[in-house]
Amino acid sequence: MQYNFKKIASVPAASDFIDVVLSRTQRQTPTVVHAGYAIARIRQFYMRKVKYTQQSWNEKLSRILEDFPRVDDVHPFYSDLLNVLYDKDHYKLALGQLNTARAMIDKIAKDYVKLLKYGDSLYRCKQLKRAALGRMCTIMKKHAASLAYLEQVRQHMSRLPSIDPNTRSILVCGYPNVGKSSFMNKVTRADVEVQPYAFTTKSIYVGHTDYKYLRWQVLDTPGILDRPLDERNTIEMQSITALAHLRAVVLYIVDISEQCGFSIAQQAALFHSIKPLFANKPLVVAINKIDVRKLEDLSAEDRALIDGMRDAMRGPAAMQLGDDDALPIMSTLSENGVMEVKNRCCDLLLAHRVEQKLASRRAGEVMNRLHVATPVPRDSKQRPAFIPSTLEASRARKAAGEKIVTEKELQEQNGGAGVYSADLRKRYMLENDDWKYDIVPEIYNGKNVADFIDPEIEAKLAELEREEDELEAKWEAERMDREPQEADLDEDERALLGEVRTRRNKLVAEHRRKKAAGNNNPVVPRKVDHERKLNTKNMKSSLESMGLDATAAVERARSRSRVVKRGRSMGADASMGADDANEDGKKMRTSKSRSKSVAKRVKDEVGGGLKSVDATLRATKMADKAQRKRNKLAKSGEGDRTINTKLPKWLNSGKRGNGKTDRR
Amino acid sequence: MRLEKCWFCSSTIYPGHGICFVRNDSKMFRFCRSKCHKNFKMKRNPRKVKWTKAYRAIHGKDLSGDNVFNFERRRNRPVRYSRELTHKTMAALKTVEGIRSKREKRHYDGRMKGLTDERRRNDRKELQKQVHLVKAPILDAGTASPSDRKEKTRIQVSSNHVKHGQTSGETSYD
Repeated sequence: MQYNFKKIASVPAASDFIDVVLSRTQRQTPTVVHAGYAIARIRQFYMRKVKYTQQSWNEKLSRILEDFPRVDDVHPFYSDLLNVLYDKDHYKLALGQLNTARAMIDKIAKDYVKLLKYGDSLYRCKQLKRAALGRMCTIMKKHAASLAYLEQVRQHMSRLPSIDPNTRSILVCGYPNVGKSSFMNKVTRADVEVQPYAFTTKSIYVGHTDYKYLRWQVLDTPGILDRPLDERNTIEMQSITALAHLRAVVLYIVDISEQCGFSIAQQAALFHSIKPLFANKPLVVAINKIDVRKLEDLSAEDRALIDGMRDAMRGPAAMQLGDDDALPIMSTLSENGVMEVKNRCCDLLLAHRVEQKLASRRAGEVMNRLHVATPVPRDSKQRPAFIPSTLEASRARKAAGEKIVTEKELQEQNGGAGVYSADLRKRYMLENDDWKYDIVPEIYNGKNVADFIDPEIEAKLAELEREEDELEAKWEAERMDREPQEADLDEDERALLGEVRTRRNKLVAEHRRKKAAGNNNPVVPRKVDHERKLNTKNMKSSLESMGLDATAAVERARSRSRVVKRGRSMGADASMGADDANEDGKKMRTSKSRSKSVAKRVKDEVGGGLKSVDATLRATKMADKAQRKRNKLAKSGEGDRTINTKLPKWLNSGKRGNGKTDRR
Repeated sequence: MRLEKCWFCSSTIYPGHGICFVRNDSKMFRFCRSKCHKNFKMKRNPRKVKWTKAYRAIHGKDLSGDNVFNFERRRNRPVRYSRELTHKTMAALKTVEGIRSKREKRHYDGRMKGLTDERRRNDRKELQKQVHLVKAPILDAGTASPSDRKEKTRIQVSSNHVKHGQTSGETSYD
């Protein structure tokens, strides 16, 4: 169990308490009700309020009752301390009253809820609720004093030192002003107030110290006066409580100088009067302030008194340690012997606790499980530790008196740090010591020399050379297979090939140029392409470009063409070949009666599946007409930069969010 | 100081050159130049990139798997320094390099075997096929042996057909 009373929630004063609960009810329950509501609903509304208030009281009071420690449940030390400090009866009474109040509030709520079931109007229900809440508050008001008392107790308790009653602790006690707090300050890091008057320390203080890697609690108690128990004041009673209930080593401090205002006789008397409290506890009597007065300077009577105390300490109840012929002496001023006193206390307590544990029932169980193994040698063979031969050699050299010069000494001799550079190579272990400072090539011809280092390199190299000779011979033997079989091209052929390639490259280049330039051009039919038209002239130039004699071909073509009749224009002569041959049939049928002055129409050829020239003309006209509209429409295509609608509705109306207007 | 090999292209990296990438599993990737580094970052496989040593070795472009390469090796067995051994090694290094270059030459020659023949065949074929670009075929036909020429036979057809025949004959010249 943790003895920490710091977590107790604060206890509000009665009036605050009432305010808190009532306002909570107001906030957490519905507030609107009308007389017109169904009566069941009205009743339910007020019942809820009453119940809610009761719940709040119950919660809060239960919390308080749980938080405060019960005197009977805590460690006897705390129980007595609570009694001494706050008066157990009063404490119990206050808590009991709260408990009763809680029960009464529950009862009231139950009664009024029952009554509310019979409320026949809003007004009555409201009055019943008022009465219920009012009575609850009155009860709590009556317990205002208890609440105030508990709040004070809480505040005081939260400041109590957290003493663990079961751990290892040293309890310092003695007359006021004998140096208990000084000892505490020396031993622990607790900063207890030390003043040259009695009862500087008014309550128990706790400090912590370490001994044998364990945590020790040091308790500084207020001074005790030698008087009957019922005459002691609260401050003394705290010490008594601690002495009575804590299983600690008791350090009784005696002021040898009598500066505290109490003679040694008085201190011895107190020691003997509270001796029953030390029963079953290790006890150390320490003599303090030896810087003022030496133990040897004491008078015979005082000496006898101190010896008496020592005998009591060594009594059958007290634990004894080997060296106990003298009382521990110390001076908290000069810090002489303080640590010895502490160590002696701790040793005593440890021994005592071990003895107690051994005496307990569980000790046997633990002891049974313990086994300390000691290995037995399996044979008589010696197995000494391995010591390397180099180490032995160096030891021998050292034994012979040889001075070993360390690297550090060398550094000091040769200019110190930053100037001296250690020779890293001097301890190299090589076959020949001359090699130590060789400069070894690292890189040769783009290779890492280290990669080639191999103790068996000679053998491997010889093998490689042998293999190479074989391969070389084989290669030579196969020479004939590798010679080209095909005859090379002769001079003329090569020249011709050169010409072919040049010509082809030119053609390709030309083609590419045209293709790139005229990518979008329509393909003109051969019939209307002047250059590619199939006529005698083109045939002639084409044949001649290839170095052929075209005369015969031209002659042949001409001989086969239709004889031009008289009366025809010379233009018709120029056009020869297939075209003329196609035309002549129609032309012959032109009416003779027509005047010759009629201009010859440019396009009067019949073709393309049309029956007559008229039909052709009609078709052309129709095509033009159809095209006209299409052209117009084509202008409003995507590519044209026209703005059809200045302010499109969909772009310029409605809500706009983030982003641009034109992207919507 | 060591000469390292590029992780990507396997070329030699001299001190002060290239860049080294250390992955979080502490594997080191050295690159001879930014080109290799970039290719690595693009997650390219050096075995599939044509200009790397790895590709060339796999595809038989370069000599590989030869005994001569066993001499250069990182042996993780420390050898105590010996002056004689170093001298021997230096001498051997030169010999090995000589043999290696010879073998590489042979490998290359073997690889190029028959290439001349093929080139000559192709040239001849090209000449045969495309000579008409510079020489009229009729002339060529004149030079060819009489047995190659087909005897033209005259066939009696109607006048209309003659016209068509003429047209198609002209087309071939263009």
